[in-house]
Amino acid sequence: MQAALPETVHIDDLVAPEAMCFHCGETHSANPQWRHVVEGRERTFCCAGCLAVAQTIDAAGLAPYYRQRTTAVRPAGIDEGKYEREAAQAAAGGLVVAVAPGRHEAALLLEGLHCGACVWLIETWLARKPSIEEISVNFATRRARVRWRGDAQDLASVLRDIAVIGYRAYAYDPVRREALLRRETRALMLRMGVALLASMQVMMLAVPVYLAQDIVEPELKSLLDWASFAMTLPVVAYSAAPFFTGAWRSLRARMPGMDVPVAIGVAGAFAASAWSTFTGRGDVYYDSVTMFVALLLVARFCEHRARAKAARTIESVARELPSTADRLRGSAIDTVAADSLVDGDLVRVAAGASVPADGVVVEGASSVEEALLTGESRPLRKLVGDPLLAGSINRESPLVMRVTAAGRSTTLASLARLVERAADARPRSVRLAEYAAAWFVGILLIVAAGTALYWSAHDASRMLPIVFSVLVVSCPCALSLATPAAMATAAGALGRLGVVAVRPDAIESLARADHVVFDKTGTLTVGRPRLAALDVQGRLDREACLAIAAALEAGASHPLEEAFRPFGGIPPPDVHDIVAVPGEGVEGRIAGRRYRCGRPSWVGEIAYPAPAPHAPDEAIVVALADERGWLATFVLEDALREGSGPLVRTLRELRMTVTLLSGDRAPVVRRIAEQAGIVHWRAELRPNDKGAFVRTRQQEGARIAMIGDGLNDAPALAQADVSIAMGDAAALTRWTADIVVLGDDVRRIGDAFAIARRTLAIVRENVGWAVAYNVVAIPLAAVGLVSPFAASIGMAVSSLVVIGNALRLAKG
Amino acid sequence: MDILFLLIPLAVVLAFLIGAAFVWSVRSGQFDDLDGPAQRVLLDDDTLH
Repeated sequence: MQAALPETVHIDDLVAPEAMCFHCGETHSANPQWRHVVEGRERTFCCAGCLAVAQTIDAAGLAPYYRQRTTAVRPAGIDEGKYEREAAQAAAGGLVVAVAPGRHEAALLLEGLHCGACVWLIETWLARKPSIEEISVNFATRRARVRWRGDAQDLASVLRDIAVIGYRAYAYDPVRREALLRRETRALMLRMGVALLASMQVMMLAVPVYLAQDIVEPELKSLLDWASFAMTLPVVAYSAAPFFTGAWRSLRARMPGMDVPVAIGVAGAFAASAWSTFTGRGDVYYDSVTMFVALLLVARFCEHRARAKAARTIESVARELPSTADRLRGSAIDTVAADSLVDGDLVRVAAGASVPADGVVVEGASSVEEALLTGESRPLRKLVGDPLLAGSINRESPLVMRVTAAGRSTTLASLARLVERAADARPRSVRLAEYAAAWFVGILLIVAAGTALYWSAHDASRMLPIVFSVLVVSCPCALSLATPAAMATAAGALGRLGVVAVRPDAIESLARADHVVFDKTGTLTVGRPRLAALDVQGRLDREACLAIAAALEAGASHPLEEAFRPFGGIPPPDVHDIVAVPGEGVEGRIAGRRYRCGRPSWVGEIAYPAPAPHAPDEAIVVALADERGWLATFVLEDALREGSGPLVRTLRELRMTVTLLSGDRAPVVRRIAEQAGIVHWRAELRPNDKGAFVRTRQQEGARIAMIGDGLNDAPALAQADVSIAMGDAAALTRWTADIVVLGDDVRRIGDAFAIARRTLAIVRENVGWAVAYNVVAIPLAAVGLVSPFAASIGMAVSSLVVIGNALRLAKG
Repeated sequence: MDILFLLIPLAVVLAFLIGAAFVWSVRSGQFDDLDGPAQRVLLDDDTLH
């Protein structure tokens, strides 16, 4: 973390020069009025504030801090009433948590934390306050967790105590969702653990009875039953509680879910066993009950973990956003909360640190990893003028950036909101599965009732175990657990690729699509001109011409500059008197000679009349000349993206028809289509024509996936069955697409199609398996061929099979 | 076989004790992060104590 600071100010530098403030290191007048003896020596201070802070630290016996620290601290101003307001706001916003009666806890974001000594100072200082119960400061995240005795409003005194020693603390939301998730995971794990432990114990007691039914004495049998009862009770009362509440909730909603047969089965079998135990007559099913609950909970736990992991793919990014930023004001660097940055602030991003906000590089050059946002793991080269995204990691050397968006308006924050919205909505397939599960359960209950009637008439002693088997053996898990798990896992797998499903039904529509339409040439090309051909006409060679053109364009930050950037001379020629003429080109002097680079006719004004350039008519032609004559003409073309060819091949392998629709002129479209390997293409189309094309194909039965930049061609995108937008994350919020592909690697679209198809295939497999299993198992149970114990194992294994199958999506 | 009348209740009591230990360990957060601790040993502790 030391790297985050430009220079490390050592204590010797601070103490030795008498003209420096002992606390903050600021220079002060030669003979200041603020003086105080610290550690046996008189120190001078720049202001009353620093003096007060130093006196406080010294009086508390914490003066060793001055020996330990490596940088000086600017005191935060102390403003009466400010902390009371902040504490009230934090309490109202739910940021202060009551952990016990009269005990509260809050997570704080600390500003002004520079080194390990600061952590020591804050921890030691606060720990001495009688009301503080616990304080821990995390230096890496600059966050602290404080617990105190008192009410929520007492947060104000905690904030003031921290300000008194020169730091600034804010209450901050430790992502309540995360806390909620942790509570759920813990509860599920407890229930599962208790059920597993009990099932093992009960099994141990049950097996001897099975093996030696005839020789177990009645007293011993009674003891074993009572012991089993004691260990099954917590399983039914605690571990199985979610099934009972779930069953009750789904019955009240008139949509019986899979919890209903589970609840009836567990409660019925336990009641019957307890009755047998109390009266000493009849069979017990404790082993089946505990095993059943334990294995079901294992299945639920797997599903819960997979879903939490998928949800965290992008949420973890938001959590890893740096909470503070090094803001530059003149020559001073302040560490401030990242949320408090505003547009136009200059921020220093140290090597190895994360970018705290969206912005533009104004100083320095480095490579930056944007994997969080674009899925692109290769670091990207960033030079002055290049955009930076919050959450990306600066890999090489320090950068200075100008903030363009901070806090909730960053690209990362909008992405997180989009994903959250999509995760909250349930896809059509999941709704359908729940609907089917309700029917399934309804029919199952009727079958169970019928079975009960039949057996009570024929052999009443077998009625209970058979009805229990019927209820337990049925497995609607493929519908109510595995389908949502598969969808969530697929969303997580896509997220890791940098593909975000914005609409809930997107994955399904993607899997069903059989016709891919690219809505413009720009989707397949890089969208920026690249040097395609070079024609040297004068006295200078290729390299020299390119170096001059690159220097001229670079000096003017002209839009075409990028095309020439790779060819800059080393060292670049010195350019003076640069003038950029909009729409024409750039003029400048190199070694006293006047050069022009730009449109041939404009360049021709200083040289001889232009020779006709040999270039395809859709390309951009740039000429270079000096006063003595023509030097070169450059042909710039919009080149095909690296991944376009492979993408089209992948789509073909997936047996999809690929069409390119474009508003561009025919020669351009033909060239791009040929390069990418697309057979079907249409040129010079207006947006409405594209919409009509999609409609016609749909009437012929095609399911169309439309790939575009998401900004134009709204009619066609809306008409398509599923729309995919390509582009950088910056334009995210404007997109109207169903699926957003971050970064510019189009090959991911092919991967997304493959994942979506695999997801749908797995959902179908699961439903097929569930149908086959239930059709076989339920009749067998109804005629009394399946013991309750075998039924619980069959059901649990079936659940694990479908969930395990769904989780395969997370891999590969 | 009479010894079973002592051992089985003892087993039940033990199971409950183990269950209590498990509840305590989950509640105190020991199972919250199943991957992190393995990596934490590789990280330096920056704080000063």
